[in-house]
Amino acid sequence: MMNATISRTHLLASGAITVCLLSACGSVSDLTKERLARTETSVQQAQQSIGNSEVGAMDLQRARDTLAQAQAALKDKNEQQAVRLAQQAQLDAELAVAKSQSAAARKAADEVQASTQTLREEASRTTTPPDR
Amino acid sequence: MNPLRLVVSSSGAAMMLLLSGCASTQRMEELDTAGALVSQVETSPRAGVAAAEIAEARKSLDRANRLAESRGKREDIQFEAGIASKYAQIANEKILTAQARDAIEKGSAERQSVLVQAREREAQRAQAQADAAAQRASSLEQELADLKAKKTDRGLVVTLGDVLFDTARATLQPGAYATVDRLAAVLKEDPSRHVLIEGHTDSVGSDEYNQSLSERRAASVQAALFERGVASSQITAIGKGESTPVASNDGPGGRQQNRRVELIFQ
Repeated sequence: MMNATISRTHLLASGAITVCLLSACGSVSDLTKERLARTETSVQQAQQSIGNSEVGAMDLQRARDTLAQAQAALKDKNEQQAVRLAQQAQLDAELAVAKSQSAAARKAADEVQASTQTLREEASRTTTPPDR
Repeated sequence: MNPLRLVVSSSGAAMMLLLSGCASTQRMEELDTAGALVSQVETSPRAGVAAAEIAEARKSLDRANRLAESRGKREDIQFEAGIASKYAQIANEKILTAQARDAIEKGSAERQSVLVQAREREAQRAQAQADAAAQRASSLEQELADLKAKKTDRGLVVTLGDVLFDTARATLQPGAYATVDRLAAVLKEDPSRHVLIEGHTDSVGSDEYNQSLSERRAASVQAALFERGVASSQITAIGKGESTPVASNDGPGGRQQNRRVELIFQ
């Protein structure tokens, strides 16, 4: 009798989860909303971070598009899809920033190398004996 | 078994079926790409700078692989593989950033050493120039010594004697050319060198005449040096007339000594 009661509860819960997963729950969890809000912030920050730089612009655009899809999925109460899209958008935003940072670092490295080269050439020029 | 339990089990199984859909055994391109990307960043010597991203990439890749093995839903495998790829790409950019910063550090050190080397070479060059100048100066002294220059309080003095001029005239005789050539060479060698040319006479004749003659003789030596390319700024020519004899004007020998042009190297 006791056993049956637990099982009945279990069954109900299990059914509820199934329904929830298949047709999306009636109300979207706060966690998901929070997740999307966080992604939105990340995308905005990425936008500020990379500015008008071409490097990372494509990834940022993809982040924006995916975020819009996540928001649409949230509206449709398709929570799992919304969470997945938000995660993808989040990573695209991070990738955009990482790309622009590495491009900036490479540019700086190239500049250091170029200036060293110039310096070396100048040094070898002035080493030649002065004309008499 | 409790019949209710059975219902629960079948309900779970149905759920699983619905979620997994039709799993295919074929390898997915996304999975291969993710696998390649993840192992690329994992094996990088600078993997440490992106440890968190690499760990996340590995987690998602493992999940994707497990799903593929258990004939999971294609969409889920693609999602996990996609996440693994993204993390791996972020990790890769972080590694590239770290490598670029390493290069900057190395480049800066290299630049510094080139600077130090350049400075050392510059110092050596300056030393060599100083040595050459000293060498020149000493050869100048040598040259003047050859011209029988006398060291006096006023500097090195080279005397052009009377015989090098036409009698009572300012024109230099050809016999003076060799000496003038050498003096010109000495002055051109060292443009910082200055020479004072003084014309002198004996006491025969009026003071005015002697003053004029001494000036013209000094000017004539000056002109000869100009002709040989000595800069005008290096030469001053004056006439001293009979004011500064070096010997007695009583005898012809002394008077001849007094008729002279002196070049004073200061």
